[in-house]
Amino acid sequence: MTFTGLIGRLCLFPLRLIIDTCVALRIHPNVLTFVGVLINFAAAYALALGKFVTAGFIMVVANIFDFIDGKVAVELGEVSAFGGFWDSVIDRFSDLALFIGLIFLYSQLGRTDYVMITALAMMFAIMTSYTRARAESLIEKCKVGFMERPERIVLFMIGAFTNRMAAVMWVILVLSIFTVADRIILTYRELRDAPPAVV
Amino acid sequence: MRRNAPLPARVLWNAFYWTYERASWQYDIMVIAILAFVWLTPPDWLGDPMASGPGPIGWLLDRLR
Repeated sequence: MTFTGLIGRLCLFPLRLIIDTCVALRIHPNVLTFVGVLINFAAAYALALGKFVTAGFIMVVANIFDFIDGKVAVELGEVSAFGGFWDSVIDRFSDLALFIGLIFLYSQLGRTDYVMITALAMMFAIMTSYTRARAESLIEKCKVGFMERPERIVLFMIGAFTNRMAAVMWVILVLSIFTVADRIILTYRELRDAPPAVV
Repeated sequence: MRRNAPLPARVLWNAFYWTYERASWQYDIMVIAILAFVWLTPPDWLGDPMASGPGPIGWLLDRLR
């Protein structure tokens, strides 16, 4: 088993308990998704105040909701097309909120350089999601590139808990640019090699 | 990327054009590289607005001088 696989398995134990509780209480998955974004707004507020460790703890709680909503939906038999759409939309709000919290903080500190780095990281993070969504309306699957949402969120937490948010912003920016480029390349190749559509 | 390309070029291309699954050994290596960058790079080198100090690399370089 790989190192990251082991960490994933270890995290699954407490999450299993939370999922079972939500299923027993029959909490609707869309409600869980919505609660997750509200908690993420609180994390963004803590980031804006420069309280990184507090923000880290709030992000952990918020992303538990984010992680379990899909699993609860499956176990309650509440999987729906709208649920998937709702989850994706709410995820974008959560992403944007965290970046905006940091942009506020850096602008308060008068650090235009990091305002720009964070704004660019935000732009490419959103484009990562958009390129995949748009590509999958044209091709079957567009799941290439390293920096997807789970990686971004874990990096945010690492940056917050260890006060290394600047380095984290650089990593998110550079790897998100690569991820967007990967998705454009894959879509170009798939469409180039596809047989012409019959009209 | 052509199969007969030199190994370093293939490694670089595969790191850039990422197609590996989570929890693969390639993913582990990428995660270790990212964590090394985040934790070992001196905050001063990046002009971190919220952290300062030389970090582990700076400390090591100081000891070696």
